[in-house]
Amino acid sequence: MKLEYFILLAVCLAGPLVLSFSKKLALYKYPGRLVQAIVLPMIVFVAWDVFAAERGHWSFNNNYITGLFIFNLPVEEILFFVVIPFAGLFTWEVVKYFSGQKK
Amino acid sequence: MKEYTILSVLFVIASFILDRVLKTNLANDRRFWKFWVIMFCVICIVNGYLTWRPVVVYGDSFFLGIRLFTIPIEDFLFGFSLLTSNLVLWEYFSKKNDKLKKPNAN
Repeated sequence: MKLEYFILLAVCLAGPLVLSFSKKLALYKYPGRLVQAIVLPMIVFVAWDVFAAERGHWSFNNNYITGLFIFNLPVEEILFFVVIPFAGLFTWEVVKYFSGQKK
Repeated sequence: MKEYTILSVLFVIASFILDRVLKTNLANDRRFWKFWVIMFCVICIVNGYLTWRPVVVYGDSFFLGIRLFTIPIEDFLFGFSLLTSNLVLWEYFSKKNDKLKKPNAN
C-alpha cells in the first residue's frame, strides 16, 4: 500500500503529539527551541540522505511511498526528520520527568 | 567502499563532539543512557518495520551486511547521531534560555 511509510510516521507522531500537551511536560511552551533542535540536525541529515540516495547507499520501495518527492527524496523521508526527532525529544522529556532532577 | 559504515561512525563521533563543544555533557548523564535503552527498543520496531517490508533497500557494497533482525547495524548509528544531536541542541537552547531569564543566577 502506497501510504504505508506515511501511516508509520503518523502512528509514531500521534502518541507523543497528544501527550506533549500534558501540563507536566508542556513542550508546547517552547516552540522556538523545538524548531531549532529539530530543524538544524534536519538540514544536515537531509543532506546526508540526498547524498546517500544519490550514491545508492539506499533506495526507497515505490510500493510503500506516495510518490511525492522533494530533493529527490520521498516526502515521507523528509517528514521522518521532523516526526522521529519530535518523538525523541518527547521521550527525553518523559525520561527526565520520571528521573527527577538529579543526574 | 563501505561508505555508509564510515559516514555513520563519523556522525556518531560528531554528535559526541557537539555534546562536548556545547557543554551539554549528556554523555555523562545517566538519564541520557536510560533514554537510549528505550529508544533502542523503539528503533528496533520502527526501523525493523522499514527494513522488513522493506520500505528502504540498502546497496550491498556500501554497508557491512551485519543486521540485527532486519536492521543494518549502521542504521543504529544513524539513529543515534540524529537523536543525540536533537537532544544536545534542545538542552543547549534550554540552558541558554534559562540564563537569559535569570542573568544573575549561577
